[in-house]
Amino acid sequence: MMVKILAAAAAVALLAHQYMIWFYAPVAQSGPVQKIFYMHLPCSWWALASFFVVFVSSLLYLFRRDPAYDRAAGAAAELGVLFATLSLITGSVWARAEWGHWWVWDPKLTTSLIMWYVYAGYLVLRSTPMGRERKALVCAVLGIVAFLDVPLVFFAAKLWGSAHPDGVARESSGMAPRMWHTIFTGLAAFGLVWGAMLLTRVRQLATLARLEAMLVWDEEA
Amino acid sequence: MLKRSAAMAAKDLRLSISGGQGLVQAVLLGLLLIFLFSLSKPLGGVITPQAAGAIFWLASAFGLVLVFNDLFAIEEANGARVGILSSPAPVHAVWVGKGLAGLCLLLVSQLVFLPATAAFLGQNVYGPWWLLLATLIGADIGLVVIGALLGALSQGQAARESLLSVIVFPLLLPVLLAGITLFAMCFSPEPMGEPDSWLGLILAFDALFAGAGLFLFPFVYSGEE
Repeated sequence: MMVKILAAAAAVALLAHQYMIWFYAPVAQSGPVQKIFYMHLPCSWWALASFFVVFVSSLLYLFRRDPAYDRAAGAAAELGVLFATLSLITGSVWARAEWGHWWVWDPKLTTSLIMWYVYAGYLVLRSTPMGRERKALVCAVLGIVAFLDVPLVFFAAKLWGSAHPDGVARESSGMAPRMWHTIFTGLAAFGLVWGAMLLTRVRQLATLARLEAMLVWDEEA
Repeated sequence: MLKRSAAMAAKDLRLSISGGQGLVQAVLLGLLLIFLFSLSKPLGGVITPQAAGAIFWLASAFGLVLVFNDLFAIEEANGARVGILSSPAPVHAVWVGKGLAGLCLLLVSQLVFLPATAAFLGQNVYGPWWLLLATLIGADIGLVVIGALLGALSQGQAARESLLSVIVFPLLLPVLLAGITLFAMCFSPEPMGEPDSWLGLILAFDALFAGAGLFLFPFVYSGEE
């Protein structure tokens, strides 16, 4: 029921967001291509939120050893990689149109790409054949280590050289109030999509675990 | 605990040198990488100090994976891991011991990579030697701290080298960037930039993951399969 409510709310919010992108928010100086930003930003934020959920669930799993936290971490990592992929693709298209390059060395971009690699590796680890409890443990450890690495990666990438329009993505100075409204609507809409998907995936994983437990029992019987 | 860590490191080193393949493979693969990257040098051209630093640290990162795979594979035979776990030595002693052994093996392989970088990639050390050594030791500690923690992740896996590389390489990025930049400063004949922030970054990486390793290692190094 909860998933259905979230999904319905997400559908309405996404429609409202699309309306705001095309008819409410003013066209920026750089032209209509800037509208990619309204989808790029929510994807990045919810990817980061997913990675934070992986971190917290991993910590909770280590302390409580409840498989539900392991499933939450797994589901959040999958969503994080999905949203980070969308964020990287939209960002790359936008950068090409705006700066003429598909990829530039910017702390935020580099950090996103490295996080994508780390969590894609995490998903590879989750899919390797291993005992259930051991896999949950090692994934929890990696979930914690991966998140601890994020500030260091950002700082390193910043030191490496930030000769790029760092403020462009933020656009804090030149944004009209209508643009801000569109951004916040986007964040809320994508948040609802994210919530519905996370909940669905956690439930799927719980069903899978229950089925696997029944199969093991059958084999033993 | 330190005595037990030293015993563990000595045991690992003896086994690695006498029968293990990790060190030999690490040295060979690193040398091969340095040689193959030297092919990117145009005829009569030069490889920039930064590219040389990157190649050196790439060889070291691959070496790290091979060394730690070998160090953890040693105890896969005959249930030796369970034997160590049931001994009175605290599990942290295993982590410190593996880290020490890994550090020694990595340094040995880098003793080969450094002259190879000079020979194949045409580099000279112009910067201060203390900076080169501080970078080498500092960044190596960061590498082995992560290697000793995550090397145990892939125990019992068939494709452990590839699994470990995929997981470890992106995590190592901060320390690798620092190593590459500081080595580029040492290899470059131009006046040096400021190394302080990069050395600070290496220190922060070492401290953060040493703490994380102490807390997390008992969870990954267990009797479970």
